[in-house]
Amino acid sequence: MKKLSLLLVVALLVATMGTTTAQDEEITLVVWDNFTREAEQEMIEELNAMFEEMNPNVTIQREAYDTSDLTQLAPRALSEDNGPDVIMVNQGFSGMGALVEAGLLLPLNDYADQYGWWDRYAEGLHARNSFSEDGTEFGTGNLYSVSNTAEVVGIYYHKSIFEELGLEVPTTWDEFVSALTTIQEGGYTPIVFGSLDGWPAIHTWGAIQHAYSDLATIDNFMYRAADGTFETEANVQAAETMLGWIENGYFSPGFEGMDYDNATYGAFIGFEGAMWLTGSWMTGSIVEDVEDAEATVGFFLLPSAAGEEVPLTIGGVGLGYGIRAGTEHADIAAAYIDLITGPEAANLLFAQGYLPAITPEEYESGTLTGDVIEAWELISSSNKVGHYLDWTAPDIAADIQEMMAGEVSPDEFTANVQEDYESGE
Amino acid sequence: MFKKIMSQASNSSSEPTVKHGVEIVSTPSFSERLQSLIPWRRRTSAVPFSSGSQALLFILPGLIIYVVFVLFPIIGTIRYSFMEWTGFTEPEWIGLDNYRELMDDEDFIKAIQNNFFFSIFYTIIPILIGLFLVSLMSRSRLKGMFIFRAGLFVPQVMSPVVVGIIWRWLFDYSGPINRALSITGLQGVFESVGLLRRVTPWLGDFTYAPYAVGMVGTWVEYGLCMVLFLAGIQSISEELYDAAIVFGANPLQQFWFVTLPGLRQHVLVAFVLTFIAALRVFDLVFVLTRQGGPGRETIVTSILVYKNTFNLHRAGYGAAMAVVLATIIVVISAGVFWLQSRDSENA
Repeated sequence: MKKLSLLLVVALLVATMGTTTAQDEEITLVVWDNFTREAEQEMIEELNAMFEEMNPNVTIQREAYDTSDLTQLAPRALSEDNGPDVIMVNQGFSGMGALVEAGLLLPLNDYADQYGWWDRYAEGLHARNSFSEDGTEFGTGNLYSVSNTAEVVGIYYHKSIFEELGLEVPTTWDEFVSALTTIQEGGYTPIVFGSLDGWPAIHTWGAIQHAYSDLATIDNFMYRAADGTFETEANVQAAETMLGWIENGYFSPGFEGMDYDNATYGAFIGFEGAMWLTGSWMTGSIVEDVEDAEATVGFFLLPSAAGEEVPLTIGGVGLGYGIRAGTEHADIAAAYIDLITGPEAANLLFAQGYLPAITPEEYESGTLTGDVIEAWELISSSNKVGHYLDWTAPDIAADIQEMMAGEVSPDEFTANVQEDYESGE
Repeated sequence: MFKKIMSQASNSSSEPTVKHGVEIVSTPSFSERLQSLIPWRRRTSAVPFSSGSQALLFILPGLIIYVVFVLFPIIGTIRYSFMEWTGFTEPEWIGLDNYRELMDDEDFIKAIQNNFFFSIFYTIIPILIGLFLVSLMSRSRLKGMFIFRAGLFVPQVMSPVVVGIIWRWLFDYSGPINRALSITGLQGVFESVGLLRRVTPWLGDFTYAPYAVGMVGTWVEYGLCMVLFLAGIQSISEELYDAAIVFGANPLQQFWFVTLPGLRQHVLVAFVLTFIAALRVFDLVFVLTRQGGPGRETIVTSILVYKNTFNLHRAGYGAAMAVVLATIIVVISAGVFWLQSRDSENA
């Protein structure tokens, strides 16, 4: 009897072993992303279910962190043997650069060839997700991540205020500057702005800087090319322009004490100001909080001060999906990235108020979301996508604040940033 | 003449003893009396440990926790301060390079200066406020005094993050402080003499932000000073005050010649505790001015340690900063304790 039961157990074991090898191996794919809002969670879960249906042997185990947590956890998590197989990676030297240097990310070039990721969006945008193999050169070498969202820093404006003051969307720098005076005379704050949190100053000053600059100069600075420098005529001009706008009262009164989420956002949706110079990531919130925002709020690009037809504009692709170097499921991970950065995902992301990196199938021209998509299309197809300066100069927000307060002159400001830049090499 | 008599009086009184800056009110005479009252207790305490190993056994649990969670990380931090280390890759030994770099790091020097600047608000002003409040409270008998005492202590027990959020709101450009200024018309008065701007961005202005952040520190720390001094003042013999009154001392003189000398030990303790708090402040600044803004006006050392270690992946450099900060704290605390022990020996 004892023997028989033993035999049965052995038989059962063999049988189960047989079935697992006959089918595909059961795989758990661990994915870390930064979609933490409830509606976003649902969207990602939907895509994950789609992926599990396509690959019945795969179970996705997903964890969501906000971007700063994700960035801080990534190095340690990717060093673990059971760390995330797929993870969203922040760009720049202290983000992706450090991970590549430590050999924690898998180069994706072969998968990009296989799945045709190169054609998803403009080549210059892939450079933002690329690093040399030793992690020291940014914007070149291997591809380490693929993004599914995009961002463009432009100007939200209240159509009703523009109508009241007889203003059209400015298409040249001079028109924009004269609009500032018209709005001020009309009793509104021309540009709502708050610099208490530091980083919004990077976008506001950076937008003016981009308006004066050309892409090659900014690229060289960002990617730390041999002739990369911050001490340019354009940067000094941009600083002087910003100081002039502060002097003229074109920004919110007391802007140094205003934070982004409450005070600045409140000043815009409360119609204190006519325009808000910030990133396209606010579209979803504005649509939610402003009545009939799709029709009453618009978005346009800050015109070029250098006379370019398509203005050089801060923007880029959002955090990209990368693969852990030590994973055993690299092929499955790549298949997942293909889906999550592909056209189905783009449509779902768009429905959530995101600006997808690839243009969604259906959108309506003349609406707020339509304006944002067209702005992104224009700059990405014309190779006019600029950069977030803090990727390369992490402390630049403090430098800009010092310049705005007159603690340092525009020349000293560019020299200070240059000094930090050189010591960071 | 008066001073001489008072100093004799104060010498003859039993001074409160403060050990290790922890025991605030110690009443040795009382515990001695207690021991003599309970014979069985005295008997047990008289039995010595049979061996040292038995004593070790009792110390062991605490010792293990101390070694694992305090000593080991401290030694680790010192070791990493001599290394180039991202926090997750192989560390590389670079000797004193981190410390050499620190000496030329303008941000670090600015941060240390700010720490000392904040110590005025964390240490000196709270001690003065504490002394003032205590002299008011102890010499007058008001109904419901305990409510005042508890209420004034509240800021000290609140989480610094909560304090930070409250004050961010108070300092907001459209917040209660600016509103109060404009409602009372003070805004116009200050504005006309050039003291305030139309809308004062307290936490974002290079002139006001350091004082605004410092003031919040004062608000947090004075409660601790007050409670320390309240405890201390109760151990000052009432006879000293009686004597002072007989010699015709007014309340100010009573404070100066009786209360203050009696509280000397407590002031030293308050100084050490609040000074350490000023040097290691992190959370309050982190919440109030988002990592030390505007520019670098309110940056402090702990913020730089955090930024370097976690944002810039320079854990070795961050460790070096932490070691320098800890050394400053240890040296100053040791100095104060030395003063204190000399003081109690003389007494």
